[in-house]
Order: sequence, then C-alpha cells, then structure tokens
Amino acid sequence: MMHDEANPAGMKTFRQIALLMVLAVVPALLAAWIHPKRPAWGWRRPAVAEITLADAQRLPSPVIWVDARREEEYRQRHVPGAISLDQSHWEESLPNFVQAWQPGTSVVVYCNSQECDASHEVALRLHRELQIDGIYVLQGGWNAWLGAQKP
Amino acid sequence: MNMLARVLRIFLGALFVVAGVLKALDPANFAADIDHYRLLPYFALAPLALYLPWLEIICGLAMIASCHFRRSALILLLAMTVIFTGAVVSALLRHLDITCGCFGAASALPLSFALARNIVLLLMLGWLLRSEGRRAKPGAPGGG
Repeated sequence: MMHDEANPAGMKTFRQIALLMVLAVVPALLAAWIHPKRPAWGWRRPAVAEITLADAQRLPSPVIWVDARREEEYRQRHVPGAISLDQSHWEESLPNFVQAWQPGTSVVVYCNSQECDASHEVALRLHRELQIDGIYVLQGGWNAWLGAQKP
Repeated sequence: MNMLARVLRIFLGALFVVAGVLKALDPANFAADIDHYRLLPYFALAPLALYLPWLEIICGLAMIASCHFRRSALILLLAMTVIFTGAVVSALLRHLDITCGCFGAASALPLSFALARNIVLLLMLGWLLRSEGRRAKPGAPGGG
C-alpha cells in the first residue's frame, strides 16, 4: 500500500498489465478445449509422434528420412536421401542409419500409406534399440510424398 | 507528433492482431514452430502456443481502441518482442535452419529477415512508449 501511494501510476500500469495477461487466458483455455488444431499436451515428448508432410519438411535440419518399406520398393524409388530400414534386413541396414545419425537429428520414418504399420514399428524399434528421441512417423507415408510431387 | 504516434499505434496494434490471429488459427503449428527453437521443455509448448497469440490479439486491440490500457498493452508487446528477438538471435547463433514462426504458417521468411524486422518493431515500440510516457505526465493532455 505504501508503494501504491508512492507510485500510483506505476501500480496502475502493473495492475493493467496483469489484467491484460489474465484476459488472454480465457480465449486460450477455450482454444485448448475446442480448437480443432489444438496442440498435444503432455509433460514428456512422446517417443514417437506422427507428423504431416508439410510439418516434416519444415523440421530444422539435420533430418534423416527413413524408408521402412521393403528394400525392393526402396530401390525402385524413395524420398531423396532416405535410408532404407527394411525390418527383414535390419542388422545389415542399421549401421547406415547409425552412421548418419548425430545428436539433435530429427528422424522421419515412412512406409507405403496411412494404413501400413512398418513406419510405426521401425520408429519404435529405433527408439528402443538406440535410445533416441525426435522420431516422427510420416502421416500418409510414401503416398503422401508422391501426392505432393504432382504439379 | 501526436498524429504520427496515433498512426504508428494503430499500425502496430493491427500488425500484432494479424500476427496473433494467424497463430491462433493453428496453435498446433505454432507449438511446432516454438519447438524448432529448441529452447523450451516439451510441456511448455502447448500452453504457450495457445496463450501467446491471444495476448498479442488483446494487446493489439487495446492499442487500436486507444483505451486506458494502451500504455500497458504497449509495454507487454515491447516485452514480448524483446523475448521473441532474443529467441531469434539465439537460433541464428546456433545456426538453426528454421523459420521464425512470427506470423504462423505465413512466416516462411529466413531468420535474418525476422531479426531485422524485429529490430525495426522494437524501435517503433520504444519510440511510441516514450511518446506515450510524455503524454501521461501530469499536466500533459491525453492519457485515455
């Protein structure tokens, strides 16, 4: 109160700033409740998260793309620079990935489409076996990538 | 001088409203943008991505409406811009290849551009705060 009397203008500004900050909480809470594009909440980053192609392309470098499809499919065509991690050739392929990976690298794993499980399996296996985070599964997989290449 | 301050206040208010609305439209994308700076823990991303755009919108509106809150809104916007600029500088120093995220998905410009724009914004906000301070002094006209 003493301070209030000593500097009423400063206290008024301080109160107004506090009020503005509290006011912004109301729509923020509403957005957290009903916004269709609200972010995921959590204390810890999920070991493996899904990511859209647009977001994956905006990830800060370095980013490693991992092709979880069968090796024959990878040989036919793949995302430029992607590393093949076919689960049936896991032991042979994993060293390529380990060589490319460094701390702070984001990893985007894809398989054929939204319906395939290989990308989730490979992503979880990478997390489990190498104890690394920052692994994403590409929503829509290879089909999403191909779709984005069409003019 | 008063006219210039008024025009600048409305311009800056509108700019922050637009920036806030673009981010409030897609808070999940804004959370990812904040995450790209690699400065904050995961649990802080969602609350900040939901809250900061609305703080920008409310402060921007207070500036445009020229209500009693405009000086406080100006101080808040100045403080936010200082923090955002600090984040941009830290990202530049760490050579992060990211976009600033200042205008939601519409901000695809490089960080160096964002830094230059933020410095101009800081100068304008600082000048406006000084000019508002003069108006608020006892005996001076205005103040609401």
